[in-house]
Amino acid sequence: MLRNIYIKEMKDSFRDRRTLLLTVFLPIIMMSVLTIFYESLISTDEGQTFTLAIESSISVEEESLLTDYANIEIVKADDPAAIVREGEAQAALLLSPSFFTRIENGENASVTLIGDSFSQNSSTLMGIVTNILTSFEKTIITERLIAQGTDPSIIEPFTIEQQESSGENPNVNLLAMLIPLILALAIGIGASPAAADLFAGEKEKKTMEALLMTPVNRTTMLFAKWLTITSIGSIIGIITLIVVALEIAFFTEHLKAAVSFNNQAGMIIGIAVAISIVYAMFCASLLMLTSIIGKTVKEAQSYSTPVMMLSMFPVMFLSSVGINELAFEHFAIPILNLFSLLKELLFGVVDYQHVFITIGSNLICIIIIFIIGRILFKKDKWVMN
Amino acid sequence: MIEIQEVTKKFKDKKVSITALKHVSFSIEKGQTVGLLGENGAGKTTLLRTIATLLSPTEGYITVDGMDTVKNPDAIKKKIGVLFGGETGLYDRLTARENLDFFATLYGMSKHETKVRIDDLAKMFGMRDYLDRKVGGFSKGMRQKVAISRTLIHNPDIILFDEPTTGLDITSSNVFRELIHQLKREGKTMLFSSHIMEEVSMLCDSVAMMHKGELVYHGNLEELYQSEKSNDLNYIFMSKLVRGETDYAS
Repeated sequence: MLRNIYIKEMKDSFRDRRTLLLTVFLPIIMMSVLTIFYESLISTDEGQTFTLAIESSISVEEESLLTDYANIEIVKADDPAAIVREGEAQAALLLSPSFFTRIENGENASVTLIGDSFSQNSSTLMGIVTNILTSFEKTIITERLIAQGTDPSIIEPFTIEQQESSGENPNVNLLAMLIPLILALAIGIGASPAAADLFAGEKEKKTMEALLMTPVNRTTMLFAKWLTITSIGSIIGIITLIVVALEIAFFTEHLKAAVSFNNQAGMIIGIAVAISIVYAMFCASLLMLTSIIGKTVKEAQSYSTPVMMLSMFPVMFLSSVGINELAFEHFAIPILNLFSLLKELLFGVVDYQHVFITIGSNLICIIIIFIIGRILFKKDKWVMN
Repeated sequence: MIEIQEVTKKFKDKKVSITALKHVSFSIEKGQTVGLLGENGAGKTTLLRTIATLLSPTEGYITVDGMDTVKNPDAIKKKIGVLFGGETGLYDRLTARENLDFFATLYGMSKHETKVRIDDLAKMFGMRDYLDRKVGGFSKGMRQKVAISRTLIHNPDIILFDEPTTGLDITSSNVFRELIHQLKREGKTMLFSSHIMEEVSMLCDSVAMMHKGELVYHGNLEELYQSEKSNDLNYIFMSKLVRGETDYAS
């Protein structure tokens, strides 16, 4: 009986164009846009040229400080700050009058750098120019110390070397935030129309009464409908993962280099698929509840929208947390654990304890939600309008 | 046989208790066709839903062929077919055949039984031309025929109709009336609510009149006409309601 109801519900759901559109096309479009966007974001610094405005009155010697850098294009103007304000240059460099003469004479000279720290391009250019000037400053100090017969190393008592503890490409962190977000949203959005239709929709169309008039156990009906929502969510999750894997493998260079699972690729993909299915089950349980409570499809969707928005919060919690800082609670709280586990997996870390905590906590929540759903579905108030 | 004994049904809506049925008692003999009359909100649909085991009585009990509706809902569901009014309760994205096939499997019918029954119903209602088309594109009359077929798919002994001809054109209403005659010939027990007095007068052996959740009359139609000295059911119904109101006032 369960099989008969399940097959009918799947057939009915997939004949709905909304389900078909959200199941197949939404993940492909969302993931394609995401992949292209992040690939371009990662590769922006390479080969990009920035425009720096300087005063027309600057000397050839002063200009030579900047001419050796291929990614800086110099624009001369009487008012370089105005050029920046107009957006024709990303930053402006103003040197005090007779800049080089004053330095040669041992007098104090000043540099003013004008830019927009809210603009990524402007910030990058200001960083490049600051590095050039710092390097130039060090050269002058070294020359002055040597002229005075002092060892230049006296002003550099130690050197600082910064190393990444994870040893992984930092670009993966970006993906580790966005892949779970898109996955969670795709599963929630994709399964939502079918969920609303299977309970609230059936109440609205009075097919629920016809269904309840058959000698089929209500728990069987409930389980078949939950299984249908879960199946649709799982299909969306798997399609999303396949699309992102194929696009990274065949259409990107930097993302492909960043994500490297070595010999664990099969295991990582398997766990990612399993956790997507578990999340689809959890999501289906929540959507089932909102649909039982809703008297109409519209009402059910009003209830499910804020529930689906919950899937956006983990990004805020986890964006500043490193994989070595992920603790029990990150894997014990549903939705948050999808993000935590996928973050670990994208960094190539497979921790079975975390996998079991994630699956276990989701299953406990699913059982609790299912019991609540069963109690509601047995009451006349919630199954008939 | 359906026996309704002192049935009261109360609903709670935002802490307010609404009594939809008040101590309703009457019985329907096997093979009888009973018309259920009453204004909107009289409790007709609640009574039909309670007989159909979809609702449980707050007080009293209902038995169908000796089985209590609360204790034996599954056994009763196999004996009853229900067609609720308004929406026809069909899946728009499935074909008429798929709709009937689905409900047949839920009643535990075999594939062969289902095929034979669908063919019979398609012949009876002239549905062969559109049996394999999706229900979403059907006219109201076509939908109603499929819905009636769904009600009859498991060949139930007892059939409950809730305002079945509401919104139907003359041709579809006549098809329905012809069906009732046929089902009467087959010895089916039927209870149907209606606003159309001529329909009830034409099809029913007896009537049950309801007003504000109470049964104001139940009895044989012929006896009713004789006692009221009129053959106008509409007039009799209205006078019963007026008397009912006077009784409440006193």
